[in-house]
Amino acid sequence: MNCPRLKSWFLERYNFDEIRDLAKQKLVPIHKYEIWYLTGGITLFLFIIQFITGMALSFYYIPYFEHAHKSIIEIVTKLNMGWFFRSLHHWGAQIAIVVLFIHVWSCLLLKAYRKPREFLWFSGFILLGISIFFGLSGYLLLWDERAFAAVRVATGGAGNLPVVGEFIKAFLRGGIDVTGDTLTRFYAFHVSVLPLITIILIGFHILLVQYHGMSVPLSVKKEECKETPFFPNLLYKDLIIWLVVLGIVVTLATLVPPEIGKKADPLAPAPENIKPEWYFLFLFQTLKLFPGEILGMNGETIAILLITAGILFFFLIPFFDRKSQRGEKSTLFTWIGVIYFLYFVIMTVIGFIS
Amino acid sequence: MKTMLTALIGMFISAADLFAQQDKIDVFPAVPYDRFIVYQNLIIFWAGIIGLIVIIKIKLREIERTQKLGIDKEEKDIPVLD
Repeated sequence: MNCPRLKSWFLERYNFDEIRDLAKQKLVPIHKYEIWYLTGGITLFLFIIQFITGMALSFYYIPYFEHAHKSIIEIVTKLNMGWFFRSLHHWGAQIAIVVLFIHVWSCLLLKAYRKPREFLWFSGFILLGISIFFGLSGYLLLWDERAFAAVRVATGGAGNLPVVGEFIKAFLRGGIDVTGDTLTRFYAFHVSVLPLITIILIGFHILLVQYHGMSVPLSVKKEECKETPFFPNLLYKDLIIWLVVLGIVVTLATLVPPEIGKKADPLAPAPENIKPEWYFLFLFQTLKLFPGEILGMNGETIAILLITAGILFFFLIPFFDRKSQRGEKSTLFTWIGVIYFLYFVIMTVIGFIS
Repeated sequence: MKTMLTALIGMFISAADLFAQQDKIDVFPAVPYDRFIVYQNLIIFWAGIIGLIVIIKIKLREIERTQKLGIDKEEKDIPVLD
């Protein structure tokens, strides 16, 4: 399609050559670890899928405890392609969190957080936390018995934090227990609060990537490193991988559509062998390791405190890793990253099979 | 009597229908023809994706070839015929 009049109309108003030159100026280093640069792009692409499918589902979902479960059944069984959109939203979320974890760990192992990219690490880490909260809030919207019990356990766990725990629990639940108010609150988080924060943080994160450029690992000498233009070389590579990811998400959504459980009953006991979503399994399994009481103190509180300390250390790693800041290799922090990774994987697998 | 009997049979049929209700909610089209259409479309979708990947890959290779030869850069102050 060639529209010279439309083209000249735009060219009279906007200098596209400047934008094109700016895009051509952006260079990306080429080295043996360059494949990890693609994980950020994949996450962004999956977020876009989530936004589109989520918007489509929100047209028909009713965020009220009496109708929520029924509205999902109607989306899945009565709406044309409703089952597909819901399944796509479910699998898009699962894969987005997997890729986000891979992205965070690749940045950790390649020391991409080192000076001057600390804020990139912090914004990315907060985005991971927000994505997990996206998952939890979206899970409750199903309003089935498993989601209900899982949210009760998760919000109850947050309540074990000293000083602020009770406030966080009450704030999340919108009351003493998980009720219809919690559903309304989680819906508000899921469709307005979290997307707004996510868009702002993604914008900030991308802006910082443009400002600092791509991080080159310490093991790769910057002088020996060749560079390739982002546009069109890396963009085309991104497009290829996005298409593959889209294919995987669509295939999973078609072949393994997520089930819908029985409607939640706040008065009924929790179903047996209840398990949270896979990204909470390592926390769930860690809590199981602790006895009910340690030295006269609540074991669960101690466990939650230790987990919080572990996550905080992970978050503040750019400040602890002094060697990387100086541009020296820091094997200790590579091992810390590996230990964190192995702990997460092992605990998740144990939680899954037990 | 005939009406009573018909009503009773009707009630039994309705009650049997309640027992026969599925525990699981269908989260995928249940009709075999619809399933066939979905699977068929999935195959077409993958064919489209592979086709697009091949086109992008060819395009990328061509760009890299011109970049290697150094003929991708526009010369400044080139005479324009308009």
